[in-house]
Amino acid sequence: MKRNDIILIITILVITCVSVVFMWFHQRSATGSAAKVVVTIDGEEYGSYPLNKDYTETIELSDGSYNIFTIKDGYASVTEASCPDQICVNHFHIHYAGETIVCLPNKVVLEIVGGEEDDVDGATH
Amino acid sequence: MNKFKTASVMLIVLLIVFILAVQAGILAGSSKTGASAEKTKYTATFLDIFDTRTEIVGYAYTEDEFSEQAALIKERLVFYNNLYDIYNDYEGVNNIKTINDNAGKEPVKVDQEIIDLLKFSKDMYELTDGKTNIAMGAVLSIWHDYREYGTNNPERATLPDIDELKAAANHINIDNMIIDEEACTVYLKDPEMSLDVGSTAKGYAVQKVMEYAKAQGMDNILLSLGGNISGLGTRIDGTSFRIAIQNPDLDSDEEYIEKVDITDGQCVVSSGDYQRYYYVDGKLYCHIINPDTLFPSEEFAAVSVITNDSGTADALSTALYNMSLEEGMELVNNLEDVEAMWVYHDGTKVYSDHFEESIAK
Repeated sequence: MKRNDIILIITILVITCVSVVFMWFHQRSATGSAAKVVVTIDGEEYGSYPLNKDYTETIELSDGSYNIFTIKDGYASVTEASCPDQICVNHFHIHYAGETIVCLPNKVVLEIVGGEEDDVDGATH
Repeated sequence: MNKFKTASVMLIVLLIVFILAVQAGILAGSSKTGASAEKTKYTATFLDIFDTRTEIVGYAYTEDEFSEQAALIKERLVFYNNLYDIYNDYEGVNNIKTINDNAGKEPVKVDQEIIDLLKFSKDMYELTDGKTNIAMGAVLSIWHDYREYGTNNPERATLPDIDELKAAANHINIDNMIIDEEACTVYLKDPEMSLDVGSTAKGYAVQKVMEYAKAQGMDNILLSLGGNISGLGTRIDGTSFRIAIQNPDLDSDEEYIEKVDITDGQCVVSSGDYQRYYYVDGKLYCHIINPDTLFPSEEFAAVSVITNDSGTADALSTALYNMSLEEGMELVNNLEDVEAMWVYHDGTKVYSDHFEESIAK
């Protein structure tokens, strides 16, 4: 084997390693677990908001009803709503993957996608 | 010299093969969340069944595979929703509203699934000494109207008149519900009576749908229909599904008052004053009406039941909410595989004999 061959082999090995490491990181960040709040209205996605950034949004519906939700310190809650039953406002704040707040009258759903897993699979209401 | 060259070329070829193999492996790994060796946990939420929230938790290799399962379950739930509805008509379907509309007029031919629910509900009436009565529609509809009005107009919320309630209570005799199994008909003999299956229908439908899911070969499913929770199998890793029981004190810092682990086929249902209610002069009136007083029960904030039949769990949680602790405790401890937890307004919890065995460790 010539010196050049060895250089070539080492170069290829290095490229392989680098690409493996790069793809590994890329894969982690792609499927990674940055938690977000996904809002849907009657099943249609309305928007998606990172859970790690404090934020307030007013969801206005075409018939004039509304839900105001707030993200604070990694927790999302509905702070005000036009619905008569106020179940969404009374609902505990949500944080763990899969948790939801539902406003049945307005058909608005807040769901946490990604992020920390809770040890609970379901809850009575 | 030539030998060396051949060796180098072969080495390089081997390296290229190695690179391709590694990258292929990584690609396969990265699509793991899409399709590969392990099943992923999925949740589907629906808002259009039984006027409440439906949640299905399941495991599948792909989202499409899970969606198919969830769609099958939803289809069955909609089927029961239409049959057991007391407020809406559906084309080509005789449902419970049809039976109510024909009270005192004529027997209505119905699906066997309606007969089964009504017979089951009557069994529950007998088991609970009348503390859950589906023939109480005349009384419940009065409360329903006052609650709806009071919720939408909090300033003008009022209570129904006791004389009005008492008059309606003359028309809640479950024996006037005549079931003809041969002809598959139901007839309400009393023209003033009506059926309200709110205390049994959701739980009963969940039970039927989970039996259907099992027959379809599904496994590792958790179904929640407005808090009527039923498990089929376990989590995919073989551990038990863990159910949180909502704290009836909505102002508390603790969202849950207890967590329980359920085994295959077990169900959890809670009844409480924090679910549907309205305020009159600052006092809370919940949706669970005691058949004896004709007013909402007030002793407990919530009662939860664990058992292996969702319909029974649903009916019992309502009945226990309407009973004293002593009556309820005696009933539960005399029933096989039924456990309950009573929660008072100050947060005090009382367990039946073996409830604590289910509490998550």
